Amino acid sequence: MSGDPVLEVEDLRVRLRTPRGPAEVVNGLSYTVGAGETVAVVGESGSGKSVSVLALLGLLPARVATVTGRALLQGEDLLTMPPERLRQVRGPGAGMVFQDPMTSLNPVLTIGRQLVEGIRAHGDVSKSAARTRAAELLREVGLPDPEKALDRYPHELSGGMRQRVVIAIALSNSPSLLIADEATTALDVTVQAQIIDLVEKLQAEHGTGVIWITHDLGVVAGIADRVLVMYGGRCVEDGTVDDVLERPAHPYTRGLLGSLPDLAAPAGPDGEVPELTTVPGLPPPPTDLPPGCVFWPRCPVRADPRCETEQPPLAVVSRAAAGATASGALEEGSRLPHRAATWCTEGGQG
Amino acid sequence: MFALVHLVPGDPVRLALGTRFSQETYDALRERSGLDQPLLEQFVTWLGRAVTGDLGVSFRSGETVTSQIAERLPATLTLAFASILVALVIAVPLGTISALRPRSVVDRVATVISQFGISVPDFWMGIVLILVFAGTLGWLPSGGYVPLTEDPGGWLQRLLMPALVTGVVSGSVITRFVRSSVLEALGSDHVRTAQAKGLGSRQVFTWHVLRNALLPLVTVTGVQLAYLLSGVVVVEIVFSWPGLGQLALQAVEARDYPVLQGAILLFALVFLVINLVVDLLYSAIDPRIRR
Repeated sequence: MSGDPVLEVEDLRVRLRTPRGPAEVVNGLSYTVGAGETVAVVGESGSGKSVSVLALLGLLPARVATVTGRALLQGEDLLTMPPERLRQVRGPGAGMVFQDPMTSLNPVLTIGRQLVEGIRAHGDVSKSAARTRAAELLREVGLPDPEKALDRYPHELSGGMRQRVVIAIALSNSPSLLIADEATTALDVTVQAQIIDLVEKLQAEHGTGVIWITHDLGVVAGIADRVLVMYGGRCVEDGTVDDVLERPAHPYTRGLLGSLPDLAAPAGPDGEVPELTTVPGLPPPPTDLPPGCVFWPRCPVRADPRCETEQPPLAVVSRAAAGATASGALEEGSRLPHRAATWCTEGGQG
Repeated sequence: MFALVHLVPGDPVRLALGTRFSQETYDALRERSGLDQPLLEQFVTWLGRAVTGDLGVSFRSGETVTSQIAERLPATLTLAFASILVALVIAVPLGTISALRPRSVVDRVATVISQFGISVPDFWMGIVLILVFAGTLGWLPSGGYVPLTEDPGGWLQRLLMPALVTGVVSGSVITRFVRSSVLEALGSDHVRTAQAKGLGSRQVFTWHVLRNALLPLVTVTGVQLAYLLSGVVVVEIVFSWPGLGQLALQAVEARDYPVLQGAILLFALVFLVINLVVDLLYSAIDPRIRR
């Protein structure tokens, strides 16, 4: 199933016009997603995760966003595509699931209508055939009584059910790439697990490549083959899940992992729970990025004098051992490098 | 409201009788019209008759109030609906275009136009129109009203200017609402979902933007229509339009209490009915309100 990647992003840059001046939201992001592979993109709010995927599908308002770079979806550049071709690609090429199921469906149209219009936008399908397909999709995503659900309005469904509908819409044209933008963030943990299972199941059936944007490292460990850590609009570290989560190289990734609550940690002598560690400070505003390493203002290591003035390049830390990827789909896992954009791989909190 | 009408200084009987009359005539008329009774009693009597549809008799003309109102109603209905039509024809495209290109030249021009419409007094606009189209150009009659059934051409000619004036005023208000509600709908998450599905921009706009911007539009249109139906006094005077606003004004001048009370009662009813219709429309438009 490997072979050509579904998506190849090269040097993606997004600049937004804001009242406070131009904001460099995404600064030279490059990654690939293979068929059947799940790439998790993690980072704090404002790290450019969502913007980077919205930019791929041209979903940022053109008046304020300037997008440059290349993004090949099955060999076709999304960023230079004429609008009509881009419209055709949205859906069958790449489906998208958004963060908040409470607002991502149109409140005044029925579920059925919202599914049917998506199906009929990409093929000469009769209304009744599209409706049958819509009911099938709802069954596939595990919505009880799909026939009846077609005539319901979003407000008549729970958040989890709505998110299933959004996933059904995203999958309705069997996309080769599924982008889930914080798709489980607004849901409670049990529903979150169900949604993740659902996506994994559908992915296994259809061989879809998945970009899973989240700030939940627990989700990453459960679902992803590879991880891309974003900070200040840059990829600061990427590699297989094992490499990044077990042997984080960038001080930011180490801080991020260090701030996870450890439920297994022994309580203190008086029974008190060990305090959570945090990464002190806030991410830099995208209107005013530091000249050197983006993490420098908050970095506890600062092992190299160049950190302050020069952006450290994304360099290979190690190569993953053969078969280290979670998915069997990628047999050549040994070639996947573990990279980090830092000179501070040693020391610090590591 | 009843008390307020009666608190207006001036004596209707004195006004009805003119300058020369005897005390006996005065007292007789006062008694006949019930004005010698205590105010509360007058109110109860009036209310009791009003619920049966009897609004009393005009002091001034001696006709029943209901017949006077019925006589003026067609003119007011014509002007109100014509104005709201003009208003919507102006407001929906203008507000939409402004919302689609916020801060563009089009948006700024639309803002100036609607600010102009909101702030320029309607009588001034009316007078200017009369001067230009009735005076200088002589294309249109300066005022009056003929029923549609009698003379359709003359009806339209006379309707054009007053409908334009009130329509521009209402339209300016509605434009601002359309702009902000379309802008809000454009920024909502479900529009992004619709785009991500691969819908064409026209479909996204019609079904996911305009459709959702309809609710505030219905509200403000309802308010404007209620306002127009209760008679646009100044414009009716300027164009000698025999509507309810003019009737109410004449009733105030003559201290014609029954007519004034009847007109006010009707205005209140109009507001109630329009609000009811708007609420019913809401539930037709928005499934979240339906039960």
